[in-house]
Amino acid sequence: MRQSSLRLRLLIGAAVAIFLAMALAWGGISWLFHQHVERREAAELTKLAEQVAAGLTLGADGRPVVEPPPADPRFHAIASGNYWQASVAGASAQSQSLWDQSLPAAPASVDAWTRSTVNGPFGKQLTMVSRLIQPDTRPVRVVVRVASDDAEMRTALREFDRELALSLALLWLVLSIATYVQVSLGLRPLDRLRRDLDPLRRSPTARLSDEHPGEILPLTEAINAMASARESDLARARRRAADLAHSLKTPLAVVSAQSRRAREAGAADAADGIDRAVEAVGAALEAELARSRAAAARGAGGDAPALAVVEGLVAVIERTDRGEAVVFAVDVDPALRIPVDATDLAEMLGALIENGARHARRLVEIGGGREERDLVLHVADDGAGMDQSAIERAMQRGVRIDEAGGGHGLGLAIVRDLAEATEARFHLGRSPLGGLAAELRWSLAEDDPAKLG
Amino acid sequence: MRALLVEDDPDLADDVARALGAAGFVVDRCGDGEDAWFQGDVEDYAVAILDLGLPRLDGLSVLRRWRSASRTMPVLILTARGDWTEKVEGIDAGADDYMAKPFAVGELVARVRALVRRASGHASTVLTVGRMAIDTARMAATVDGRQTPLSQLEFRLLNYLAHRQDHIVPAGEIAEHLYGASDGSDTNAIEAIVTRIRRKFGGAVIETRRGLGYRLTGLTG
Repeated sequence: MRQSSLRLRLLIGAAVAIFLAMALAWGGISWLFHQHVERREAAELTKLAEQVAAGLTLGADGRPVVEPPPADPRFHAIASGNYWQASVAGASAQSQSLWDQSLPAAPASVDAWTRSTVNGPFGKQLTMVSRLIQPDTRPVRVVVRVASDDAEMRTALREFDRELALSLALLWLVLSIATYVQVSLGLRPLDRLRRDLDPLRRSPTARLSDEHPGEILPLTEAINAMASARESDLARARRRAADLAHSLKTPLAVVSAQSRRAREAGAADAADGIDRAVEAVGAALEAELARSRAAAARGAGGDAPALAVVEGLVAVIERTDRGEAVVFAVDVDPALRIPVDATDLAEMLGALIENGARHARRLVEIGGGREERDLVLHVADDGAGMDQSAIERAMQRGVRIDEAGGGHGLGLAIVRDLAEATEARFHLGRSPLGGLAAELRWSLAEDDPAKLG
Repeated sequence: MRALLVEDDPDLADDVARALGAAGFVVDRCGDGEDAWFQGDVEDYAVAILDLGLPRLDGLSVLRRWRSASRTMPVLILTARGDWTEKVEGIDAGADDYMAKPFAVGELVARVRALVRRASGHASTVLTVGRMAIDTARMAATVDGRQTPLSQLEFRLLNYLAHRQDHIVPAGEIAEHLYGASDGSDTNAIEAIVTRIRRKFGGAVIETRRGLGYRLTGLTG
């Protein structure tokens, strides 16, 4: 199953983690701030309460008296939101602002002022501090309460919470964008690695460079090691094919020699039979070798210098009986490089040039260069050429090489299979010289650096 | 005439030696590369038949050692692989001809005879035109001390022009010399040979007189 995008997973993970951190921060900061504000409020109330306590006495009738009362004008305006009250059972002294109301009971102690939130008179929620105070030696404890409407404070705290949430949301957005940039930069070496891998796919000799970040280097080293193993496997496969040919062809030459001896001894029929068998085995062997070569060439890639390969082949073919009698006009761009292993290119061009030499009257033309995004090599001769049905048979896919027959057949079938294996387009037609024209054409990939010039 | 046969398969070596003996050669045989290198280095042979797949020292290395020691006898290589790269390597290493196994022994004998004839058949004449010396025995031309091998047709064309130096030779006349009877289309082939010679020695080695023919300058300047 295909895994989802690494970038997306990292981004979603980071965004969720940052969101949770921001939510936690919002809760924490809000709680701390609420505590702070409420402590400040309580401290203010405690100061006022201490003024009340300072003026607290008990009258002769046991009623509490606060003299002088706190001067703060908010205690004089009715329902102002600020109230004080000193009470014993059945009697109390209180601020004018309470009018005919009283503060509700709340837990109080002798030792310290106790803060509480209560539903006060006039339908308001109040913050209140309370304490039990014994004004004189009489065993009477007066409950002193000072309260303040905290609506304003609550409103301020809610506004603070909202603004904090907005700030943290903005911070979350900024951090998420920063994460996106960081993830993109962090994944960029992987993009480069992907581009670097493309030549590796096309050529077994290509390797990844070591110009990667330290974290990626172990990966590139592992990939290079794998590429080296693949290259060794390919080379080993080719060596085995060659060794097989060597081990079979020499005994075949010996059998061929036996046929000559048989002929000399007068057994011409037996010699003919041996010769036919040797020819058939030789053709089958060549066909098998060509097939294994084509299989090894598939996806093997390479970077063959076209002119050097052509010149080397011409130097060989010029020494053959037919090669001696024809001239090879070579017009291949010296800078042309074909994305194929040089051995495979030599097999294709060798078969085409030898074929041209065999059928030419005087001249074999070998040309090569770049045409837009194609790399093109062609071999043409001035011989009699092939008729259309022979061309079609040679080009027919699936015709076995050893069934293709002698003459043009075997060589062209080898070229056809190797061309297919190296992703070349192979075309046969009539040359302007009158004979056969063979063309091999490789298309450059979009991101392929120009192989010419 | 002495021939050195280097082949590690005794049955094949027997048969080739017998066929060469019947053709008039005195055959020395070697079964491995080290012996072959030694024999070829110390004895004089008219020709060597050299298998590439040899024990102890491969055939290409033997050939390279012979050539670097200036052993110039013609060498025919026998190859089992028969792929083009190996043939090119063989010719680059200094082989004169190659045959892929399995081969007809009769054809091998004919090729060996042709090699010997080519190496000894020409009188060793050196024709000099300008800075170019054409060695008719080696089928090669030397300019400023650098020897360049020639193909059969290149050699025959240069040789003909060298014999007609100071003359402008029409393409038709050259074609008749090279091919016997010729027709108009052969001038294309002549032009192609001239192009190859110019690529090897420089454009000025043969002068073209438009509509008239060619003249060998030999790079006189």
